[in-house]
This record gives sequence, structure tokens and C-alpha cells, in this order.
Amino acid sequence: MIRWLVWFLVSSDAAVACEATGQRMGSEIQNAPAVHVTVNQIPLAQPFSILLTVCSEIAVSDMRVDAIMPAHQHGMNYLPVVTAKGDGVFRVDDMLFHMPGMWELQVDVEYNGQSVSYTFDIALK
Amino acid sequence: MKLWVTAALVLLTSSVRAEVLLSEDEIQQTLSFGPWPPSFQPDLSNRVSNDPRAIALGAALFDDPVLSIDGAFACASCHDPEQALTNSEARTFGRVILDRNTPSLRNLAGLRWYGWGGKSDNLWAASLHPIIEEQEMAHSKESLMRAISESTYIEDFEVIFGDVQSQDTEQVLVNIAKALSAYLETLVTERTQFDDFRDALERSDLAEAANYPEAAQRGLQLFLGRGNCAFCHNGPRFSNNEFHDAGVPYFLSETEVDDGRFGGLNFLLSSPYTLDGDWTDDPEKQGAWAVRNVRRSHSDFGTFRTPSLRGVAETAPYMHDGSLDDLDAVVRHYNEIDIERLHADGEAILSELNLSEQEIADLVEFLETLSGVTRP
Repeated sequence: MIRWLVWFLVSSDAAVACEATGQRMGSEIQNAPAVHVTVNQIPLAQPFSILLTVCSEIAVSDMRVDAIMPAHQHGMNYLPVVTAKGDGVFRVDDMLFHMPGMWELQVDVEYNGQSVSYTFDIALK
Repeated sequence: MKLWVTAALVLLTSSVRAEVLLSEDEIQQTLSFGPWPPSFQPDLSNRVSNDPRAIALGAALFDDPVLSIDGAFACASCHDPEQALTNSEARTFGRVILDRNTPSLRNLAGLRWYGWGGKSDNLWAASLHPIIEEQEMAHSKESLMRAISESTYIEDFEVIFGDVQSQDTEQVLVNIAKALSAYLETLVTERTQFDDFRDALERSDLAEAANYPEAAQRGLQLFLGRGNCAFCHNGPRFSNNEFHDAGVPYFLSETEVDDGRFGGLNFLLSSPYTLDGDWTDDPEKQGAWAVRNVRRSHSDFGTFRTPSLRGVAETAPYMHDGSLDDLDAVVRHYNEIDIERLHADGEAILSELNLSEQEIADLVEFLETLSGVTRP
């Protein structure tokens, strides 16, 4: 954890401004590049897609997306498919929340082989 | 005079409002259980979906023992049209006692998974497997082709699917399954007292909505809230169509277990009859994302697909093994659930509900309003 904190503090240009839409995801790493998520209305128990925008001059070498319901101790029953659309934008398909309640979106982004985790809470009725 | 009328109207409105017990949030949740019936979407993986000739052939085949190798059973032998397309046995005795309760065959169009263990991702595959399953209809592809060729259905079959002699045995099997599927898609439960209530709420017609029994409304409130039912039983079909451990024992005998979704996935992922396979008629393979991306987990073991609650009062007995005789027993099962029976590493949803006798009765009354049949 401290190693990554140092890495991002040293890389002062890691967090860059970009014209991202959507809401910013949280990260425990200070000064981590911003990741924004755009989620339209989520249909219960039906597949949906989201857009992720990474604001970083450092190239993203890999991205993994998942979601869990912390209160229920389970995740999604399907593995989402991530597609790079260019300019730091990633489309995530085949997401499916099969229960109403609080879900935690989890995104792991790799910058030059260094992984940073992001989370974002989504309440589904 | 005008003032008096206005005051009377306000009083009348508030007295009617008092009979709709749901909060605004509960009303919004209730709207998500409809509208009903859903609009029909043809199955793109089945080229004879919604074809009247295929529907008629499928209906005739469903009722005819020609689909079993020895002419002993028709689909309708277990899925009795007079009993909501199921039967009253816990586990049907055909050639042998089957492992699971016979599911009702209504509201099947457009589901993501079929069967208690979800071993099919489309309705024609779900129709195909029982025909060749050794413990059910027990046909081979060859015997099925012979039986159809020699039956009175051959003319209708060839009008729809072409010359039977130009088809190999697997093609004939798939075509028959697709005709059955075209028929099954048409079987939809009727509108219910609950649907009238739900639609009245959508129109903000509280006077009409107040006709829904208060006991059922209280049961609905429990269903949405403390009962935790709507976690899995959601949407217009009252099912999320996914797989859960409901705390029902999965031992078939002292030495055998029903592995539920675990076995269903093993079967599915080796089946040639999925939406991602060669037998789909949809060149785009829409819907195949689910079989491609479904996750496997050891906690799938002993989980079963959430059944729809539409028409539920007509389909006793209940649970994957038919072990609970009536809806009262089902509610009591969840009320007093033995969490020791749940997967230690499974989802943490179920716990004892501590419902009172009145609350149990209310929940049962709500469930009964999901059927077109009214209580005597």
C-alpha cells in the first residue's frame, strides 16, 4: 500500500484532468488517477453495461471489473467483458445484478504493471 | 354547499387511502412486478417460434406418447394441463422416481435459464432433453426419427421443416424440440387479483386498489420487507431466474445428493444445444453471453433456480424436491429456517423470520393472489 502511495506521489503527473463524465470512483490510494463510472438505469436481474473513463497519462495495461453485495456475501454470477474504446474509455458489458440492495462495483486498473483498486457503491431497488 | 361537498370528498378520499396500506416506497416496488402479461418476443434462436403451424404441431406432440420410446408417456403425463402443467406428486414416478419436483410449464418464453439446475439456456433445448433422457422419454435420435416418420404427424412436420429423409436424426430431434418450444411459449398464466391491484396503483386509482384484501397487502409488505422474499422473487415473473440455496436438504438417498446448479452447469457447458452452439437459428447468437460468461463456483452445489410465483397456489407441492405440501409449509420453512443447512460460504440472505401466526397467514394470502384461481 505504502509503495503505491509513494509511487503516485512521485508521479505527480499521474492524476491528470480529463473530460470524464459520470461519477468518480473511490480509491484508497491518494492521488491515484481518477476513474469515472457512467451508469444508466440498471434493470434488476437483467444484463446492463457501464462506461469507465480513466484519467491518466500512464497507459492502462489491464482492467478487471467485478461487483459484490457486501451484506449478502456474494458477487455477480457472470464475468463482465471489458472493451477498450480508446482515449481512456472502457466499455463494460454483461454486468448483471440479480438482487436489489447495495452493490459495490470493484475495478482494478493496471498502470505499467502496477495495480490500483477502485470502488463505487450502487443502490439498486 | 360547495364547501360541504369538498369536505365530504376529502373525507372520502382519505378513508379510501387508508385502505391502501403500502408506503410510497412499497408502491414503487410493487410496480416492478408488472405489467402482466409481458409483451411476446419471438425466440430468435428458434426459426419456428410464433409460427402457428409449429405451435399446433407442438401442442399435438405434447399430448401424444409418440415422444416416448415405448409409447408409455406423453409430456402431458407429468405436465398435466389440468393441473397447471405439473402434477401433485412430490417427485414424479414414471420409469423411476425422478430426482426433482415437476415444474409447471407456464411463462417460459425468454428466460435466461431453464430447469431447477439451469442445464439449458433456451426453451427448445429444455424441451429436447426429456425426450432423450433415459429416465424420462428414453428415445434415441434414431428411434425418435422412426416414430415421427411413421406417425400421423409426419405431414405437418414436413410442411414446417421439410422432407424428413433429407434430415439427419439430430436435425429431426432439434426440429421436434423447436415445435414443442413454439407451443410452450404460448402458455402464460392469466392476470390475477394482484395484477389489478398493481395496475390500479400505477394509475394512482386508490379506490380501485383498495379492493385488494388488506391481509394480502400486509402479506405483500412482508414479502417486500422483513420476509426477504423479493431478493430472489422479483420482476414480473417473481423470479430473478438465478440460483440459490433455500435450505432444503439435497440428499436424494443416504448415498446420493442432488448437486443442483453445479451439475446443471456441467451439463450446460458440454451441451451442443446452447445459444452459443451450432443449433441456434440466430446468426447473431443473442443471449449467448450468459453461457459464455457464467461463473462456476463450488457454492453452486445444491443451489436451485428461483421458481416463478405466478400461479403458485396451483402448483403444490413445493421446492425442488416437492418436500413441502402447501404454501403455509413454505412460509413456515423460511420462518424457521435451519441456517445450519445453508452453505457456510454461500450467500448470507436467509435467517429466521420470527413471523407471527397472523403474519404467516397474511403472507400466504398474498401468495394466493398471484394465481387466477380464487380460494373457495
